[in-house]
Amino acid sequence: MDTTRLLRLAELALPGFVVGLIAGAVAGGLAGLVGQPAGWALVSMLTLGIPLAIFGAGYGILLVYRKVRIGAFAPVALFWLAGFPIARLVHEVLARLVLTGEAGLPPDPIGFLAYQAIVSAGFAIGFLWLHERIAPRWWYRITDRNPAAKDIYEAYVEHATQLYRAKEARRQARKGDQTARSKATQR
Amino acid sequence: MVDSSQVPVSGSSGGEAGSETGETERVWRAGGLDPMPIRKLPDAPPAIHLLGPTVFLVALGVGMGESYMWPRLVLVFGPEIRWLFLVGVTLQAVVMLEMARYAMATGESIFAGAARVFKPMMWFFFAVAILVYIWPGHLSAGAAAFEEITGIPWLVTACIGLVLVGIVFSLAKVIYNLLENVLSILIGVLVVGTAIIASLVGSWADLSSTLTGMFAFGYFPTEAMSSTWFPIIVGSVAFAGPSGMQQMWYTLHLRDSQAGMGAHIPRVRGLRHAGEEESMPSRGFMFDTDDADEMRKWKGWRRWVTFDALLLFWGITMLVTVSFTVLAQSAARENPNVKTLIEGGDRDAALGAMSDAFASVGGPVLGGLFFGFIALIGLNATLGLFDSFSRGQADMTYFFVKGARRFKMSHLYAGFLWGVIIFGILILLFGPADGPAGVLDILAFLSTFAMGAYCIVLLLVNNRMLPKPIRPKWWTNAIIGFGAVFYLGMLFYSLVRFGVVVS
Repeated sequence: MDTTRLLRLAELALPGFVVGLIAGAVAGGLAGLVGQPAGWALVSMLTLGIPLAIFGAGYGILLVYRKVRIGAFAPVALFWLAGFPIARLVHEVLARLVLTGEAGLPPDPIGFLAYQAIVSAGFAIGFLWLHERIAPRWWYRITDRNPAAKDIYEAYVEHATQLYRAKEARRQARKGDQTARSKATQR
Repeated sequence: MVDSSQVPVSGSSGGEAGSETGETERVWRAGGLDPMPIRKLPDAPPAIHLLGPTVFLVALGVGMGESYMWPRLVLVFGPEIRWLFLVGVTLQAVVMLEMARYAMATGESIFAGAARVFKPMMWFFFAVAILVYIWPGHLSAGAAAFEEITGIPWLVTACIGLVLVGIVFSLAKVIYNLLENVLSILIGVLVVGTAIIASLVGSWADLSSTLTGMFAFGYFPTEAMSSTWFPIIVGSVAFAGPSGMQQMWYTLHLRDSQAGMGAHIPRVRGLRHAGEEESMPSRGFMFDTDDADEMRKWKGWRRWVTFDALLLFWGITMLVTVSFTVLAQSAARENPNVKTLIEGGDRDAALGAMSDAFASVGGPVLGGLFFGFIALIGLNATLGLFDSFSRGQADMTYFFVKGARRFKMSHLYAGFLWGVIIFGILILLFGPADGPAGVLDILAFLSTFAMGAYCIVLLLVNNRMLPKPIRPKWWTNAIIGFGAVFYLGMLFYSLVRFGVVVS
């Protein structure tokens, strides 16, 4: 894969990456702050933020190449059902390794993963919500230099047009009603 | 009176709706108001989507019950008490579907439906809305949380907040999109943040006990049968999900989002754009339930709203309460003082202690973030409440007060909105925010009574005012009937047995 292609791919995945990074960095970073040195907070932030960002980018790529349906909830929930527990496991293991020098899993790893898997549904809703609001705008900005971005943006436009047409048709139907009614009253 | 024995009555067999043939229009007669002309039902939205106006409404509906009242009961009585929450929210999901049935079939609000059956019923709701919802007390939790973060006195925030709400809804068309975007991002952050905080501070044990507790049907410890706790439990069940009149207002939002026959009714605009409003018809419309194609579209609409009711409404409400219950449990573990404070019932102290507990595991910013969430929930709830109250009162005034049609619906909406805002500011500055202490009990009583009453209204309206093919099934009627008995029964039991209304 040449550099240009890689760059383009990275560009497409950016919104998902950013949403994942922000989510992980903000909350993970806060949890790491406990009056600890900045280094500690930074480690906690990166060890949660980066795995979530990588998964977020992955979801973006799947969407761009139409492996998942635009705006649909089920695929994103399934995606994070696997992704979120892994990201949290990486966070726990790496944060412990870096900060205490000991490698090890969290106590009751199965329970831990099961809990994270359930929480992932909530995360998935929030992720999709934010991604749907940020990504199309970003892809629109890069349509000139990135053909895949143009494609996915057009898919969104097409989708929005469909919804708009349906709305317009309803509005027209209502206008028609009103005209007919006023004619009937004049009679 | 009620022509319910057959599908829409034909004034003349050939007269298609609004046609120019001059033949009499086909209509559906229901109750004492004008008959509804037959019109085409629009197609249901092409695909089921997560992101729509209802999600926005769902986010507005998540309030103090979810973030405070239920976590409190769990700490006091254990997670098993949550089976009552499951019953409450599930009941509300069915109520939501039934409210939608009438609104989508006719484009009328449930208030108009009540007036078709018996006009005084509608006036009862008009009066209850004014009595219960003009007090600005609901602002205090959010504004107090904001004070914790910024130090700005809550009274200042609350007053400025009130004026801002008025301006935003008056300018509506210009900045509504901006507001929606900003709020949407905030709600997204709220959901993602709650999930991550719950994932960091909670544990499998907390979650599984919270979840399994939901199925401990029939669990009711003896301490709960006391004059202190029984009214609180009744209140918490009634306030699980949308409470008071919020479900009735949902029919207005459905109409304004052009769902079903609502497509034939113009939308309410902000004051600044009132001039652009199309003329409002004096009654709703009905579709031809004899036509197989129309019934196919109707089924599409029912699927659409069922998805909303189950996944979005039921799912998100569950998610938020489960998360907050897990948070409360872990906060109580971190700091036993939290449990005492929460049990004691001082809401502000309890929220403060929960924030402290999070600060102790996650740093002061995590504590601040918790308050941020509470402030956000408060702000969302206030925005939703003011808008809905004004919509409901404007709707009833426009259709049923003589001479009100000289004004546009948008003018009446603005009138009620600014009325409640100005009254709110005056009360915040000079009076008791929750309402005069002497009438507090009456207000709490009315709010729960309205919920039992709307179940009865739903049964009457959907079974008598709609054509047979689109009436509810027997089991839906049974659930709504159970709702009426449940709300009214618990309310009166509490009153008779303990002499206390809900709290």
